[in-house]
Amino acid sequence: MIYDNVLIASLIVIVVGFLPTEVWRWLAIFAGRRVEAGSELFLWIKAVATALLAAVVGRLVFMPTGALVGVPLSLRLASVVAGVLAFLLIKRSVLAGVVAAQVVLLGGIWWLGLH
Amino acid sequence: MLQDHEIPPCEDVFMLDVMTETVPPVSHGRLHYVRLGVRGAMSVPLLVLIASYIGFGGLLQGVGFPLLPGMLSTVLIWALPAQVILIGGLAAGTALPAIALAVGLSSIRLLPMVVALAPFVRGREQSTWRELWASHYVAMTMWVEGMRLLPKVPVEGRLTYTLAMGTTYVAVSTLATWIGFALAGSLPPAFGAGLLFLTPASFTILMVRGANTPLDWMALGFGLASAPLVAGLGGGMDLMIGGVGGGTLAYALARLMKRRAA
Repeated sequence: MIYDNVLIASLIVIVVGFLPTEVWRWLAIFAGRRVEAGSELFLWIKAVATALLAAVVGRLVFMPTGALVGVPLSLRLASVVAGVLAFLLIKRSVLAGVVAAQVVLLGGIWWLGLH
Repeated sequence: MLQDHEIPPCEDVFMLDVMTETVPPVSHGRLHYVRLGVRGAMSVPLLVLIASYIGFGGLLQGVGFPLLPGMLSTVLIWALPAQVILIGGLAAGTALPAIALAVGLSSIRLLPMVVALAPFVRGREQSTWRELWASHYVAMTMWVEGMRLLPKVPVEGRLTYTLAMGTTYVAVSTLATWIGFALAGSLPPAFGAGLLFLTPASFTILMVRGANTPLDWMALGFGLASAPLVAGLGGGMDLMIGGVGGGTLAYALARLMKRRAA
């Protein structure tokens, strides 16, 4: 493979991975100077950032890869819902939510005999 | 250390309100905010980062990507979706310019994140160099945690706090990449699935925690719901439609609601 060589692989990481990512952060610092917290423009930008993050997460739930492909969508959704409910019901603890989501997912995998 | 981290209120600063005007403002050194920032990083999202990057290390091992450049990608790219696209694309034999385009599209989401977080990070300091450095740490975790924790940090120390928190996140994640690379293949598949699902489950919960206004809730809901609707568009366009489209729709509806109420 093209990336077997450590130096070539590092160069690919920098040119194909680092630069196309970092340029947006730099642009944001220079272009975002005049955006004040609480302004209408800020509210719109924050809404777009929130929706983008949610879309990334949504894609991981609805269109997973690797070991998750064999887990049915209903079980993936049940796991997320259980996590959010546990978070809301158990003193807004993120840890409780994450543990609940994992218990439902792994329990479901075991119950359905998918392992 | 598993509880949500709370920053203790900075008594010195609050005391000023009740003291006479002649007392000079109490100012902490940078080291104080470095310590606070490292402590701010010690929370559940750090555990999620560790698990996510153990998963990424496993992916590297699986496709035969060398370890050191893989760890370099965690330090330099510091955005898991972009890293997964890069490694996945390389393994599939995709042309390098096409991978660069996909990585760039997936990372556009960082622009509004940095713009939204910058007013909180900037504080009183005017150092473009340190601001650029701090912007490098902005990704999902830093954004969610920064929006939550930074308003509680005294303005004078926010940039230092952000740099310390981000450096901790990246250092620990780079170590986790290595551990995942070494562990790969020895985990039973069910635990592999649990590890992979840690990221979407925990980020949904973190976003629910961060949502306060109707605008937040709508942006969150539209973004999540967009995923199955725009599936198959690929190349990063799906995320753009879900993010820019969903966010703009949420903003427009929130404005309409505000005007109705007024």
